[in-house]
Amino acid sequence: MEFLGLVNYALFTAIFIAIYALLALGLNIQWGFAGLFNAGIAGFFAVGAYTSAVLSTPADDGRLGGFDLHFVFGWIGAMLAAALVAWPIGKICLRFRSDYLAIASIGVAEIIRLVIKSEEVLTNGARGINGIPRPAGDIGYTESQIAYLVIVLAVLIVAYVLVERQFNAPWGRMMRAIRDNEDAAKAMGKDVEFRRLEAFIFGAALMGLGGALFAHFNRSITPEAIDPMVATFLVWIMLILGGSGNNRGAILGAAVVWIIWSVSEIATDRLPHEYAIQAKYIRLFLIGLMLQLVLRFRPEGLLPEPLRGDLRGSRRTPKSGADHS
Amino acid sequence: MKTKILALAAGLMAATALASVPAQADVKIGLLGGVSGPIAAMAPAMVDAAQLAVQQVNEQGGIGDGEKLVGVLGDSACNPQNGTDAATKAVNIEGVSGIVGPHCSGAVLAAAGSVTIPAGIVMITPSGTSPEITGLDDNGTVFRTVPSDDYQGRALARTLKEQGYGKVAVAYLNNDYGTGLANAFKAEYADALGGEITQFAAHEEGKASYRSNLAELAKGGADTLVIFDYGDGTGLTILRQALENGFFEKFVGGDGMKSDAVINELGAENLASFVASSPVGEKSESLDMFNEAFKGVGGDPDAIFATTSYDAAFLMALALEKAGGKKEGVAAAMLEVSNGTGEAIRPGEWKKAKELIAAGTAIDYKGAAGDHNFDANGDVPGTYALWEVGSDGYEVIMEMK
Repeated sequence: MEFLGLVNYALFTAIFIAIYALLALGLNIQWGFAGLFNAGIAGFFAVGAYTSAVLSTPADDGRLGGFDLHFVFGWIGAMLAAALVAWPIGKICLRFRSDYLAIASIGVAEIIRLVIKSEEVLTNGARGINGIPRPAGDIGYTESQIAYLVIVLAVLIVAYVLVERQFNAPWGRMMRAIRDNEDAAKAMGKDVEFRRLEAFIFGAALMGLGGALFAHFNRSITPEAIDPMVATFLVWIMLILGGSGNNRGAILGAAVVWIIWSVSEIATDRLPHEYAIQAKYIRLFLIGLMLQLVLRFRPEGLLPEPLRGDLRGSRRTPKSGADHS
Repeated sequence: MKTKILALAAGLMAATALASVPAQADVKIGLLGGVSGPIAAMAPAMVDAAQLAVQQVNEQGGIGDGEKLVGVLGDSACNPQNGTDAATKAVNIEGVSGIVGPHCSGAVLAAAGSVTIPAGIVMITPSGTSPEITGLDDNGTVFRTVPSDDYQGRALARTLKEQGYGKVAVAYLNNDYGTGLANAFKAEYADALGGEITQFAAHEEGKASYRSNLAELAKGGADTLVIFDYGDGTGLTILRQALENGFFEKFVGGDGMKSDAVINELGAENLASFVASSPVGEKSESLDMFNEAFKGVGGDPDAIFATTSYDAAFLMALALEKAGGKKEGVAAAMLEVSNGTGEAIRPGEWKKAKELIAAGTAIDYKGAAGDHNFDANGDVPGTYALWEVGSDGYEVIMEMK
């Protein structure tokens, strides 16, 4: 293991963490702020990835586009497309509460996956889209990873600052009020339906952006990437582990879970050769175990939601108002 | 409580950091496979076949001056996320000189695009059949030992036309395998040869009934149904229901359909009008040598992609030997060890190959799955035959051109 190798691996891991952190931030707006149980992250991720791929690749006869635009337009397009797709879905599905919304959103993500896989004129079907330009991708291996990390981090920081601002603004307080007591918020004259839709769309746009960053990093996107395990449930675990309702928690959760997911394979590779195949499942077990431990001992996550006003400092003595689920 | 969690996390990371102690004398190759994920059932046999090649190399003298060849297994889980992660670890943490795998086309494209092409590492996939891999801008570093679906689909179309098939309907499984084959078939049969395809429809796997799909396919008056699917899965259901309901008279399948499950389930007497294409090489000397060796280590030689996995790993070892164990020359060496000219090397003949390479003689690997003469894109042309169901299993009707 050379030093340069370690650097390259660290860069790669950091890029992946940043992309997952964007997805977790998007989910935090939906679940952490507004209490919407969206189990269809993979769907919005895919819409973003494919939109950006179509917008930024050179023209191809077999499918829609490509339009050969600058990647920045691809990424903006990805956010817009994910938001546009989220709007009718939210309009219909947000009438459901908690578990029912989860079921509906899983279904929606599956529909999106099947459309992408089947509609060749749109997405090149199961073959996927290849040759997506990576910003600063022509320079050497390490350099181009550094360049991409800088870009991804810049995007993540901007997203974080904006989301954090919203969280502390009256809008964020209103969202939490709606989440914690819908009837009270309604009685205060808040348009609950519209606000929930707003949160759903903002979250979906961030997920779409995450998808676009992922597609450009790999220079390709295929339907195999829209796998609920790695594109939906892993993100959920990140947010719950990191602390839902806390933006820094979402980012920390992304880092911790991805590091365990990725690094544990290096550890299991040291097991004797005859267990090599079985050992690959240990990381699935580790992630599950981690989730169990957190839910058992620290249900509010590593970094809990910051509390305000009278509740500040009352964490250690739980009282009725502190229980926000 | 926080400290406990942090301690746990820190402990895990410390363990992983301490655990990796490299042995510099070894030459490592990465074996990336879909160990977990959708092809978890197929992957172990493929990995075992590749490890057999590694084992043979080490038993017969290793790489260079007796350096040990080590296969490092990575889990690409059949998706780009884990595929790139596994490739990054193989290249940077393990320091491999080449990669055999990943198994699924999507993981191949992503791992090539973000890791191996920029890092200049040669990748050879035993099962990535997507035509997209052909066109990768890869500086000649991406190879495969399995033909692109394009080859088979086109060859099958030409053969059917030659055999006098008329109107056909095409049903294909909606994944990269089925779609790739079906599109290549369509391009050749309808567009290039002027044949008539009355219906062209994808189906999803795992449904209990495909009668409505079949009724739709039968519209347009085709008497032949071409199925691009797996004979031990959905393809079997479709074939059975088409036979039961008399939707079509003749049936044609791709290599996925040439499965013993079809004969066992439906009976040879019902399959008189069923033909399927499949790679030849079934009877070659190379294949016999591989089969014997693989049985010797407890493997099942009939497992899907076992032969291509073995060939991929053996070719990687040959190329490494030719390049002197250095990763830089592997891409060029790969083209030299299997281009149709030179002394023939068959599976397991590592010692012979090693001596010939040392003497500077040109060698040509003739693999278990075919001759593997790479073209400029790193693809291998398939050699296919058309098979029918005889009294004891499948019999060759003709070679497909």
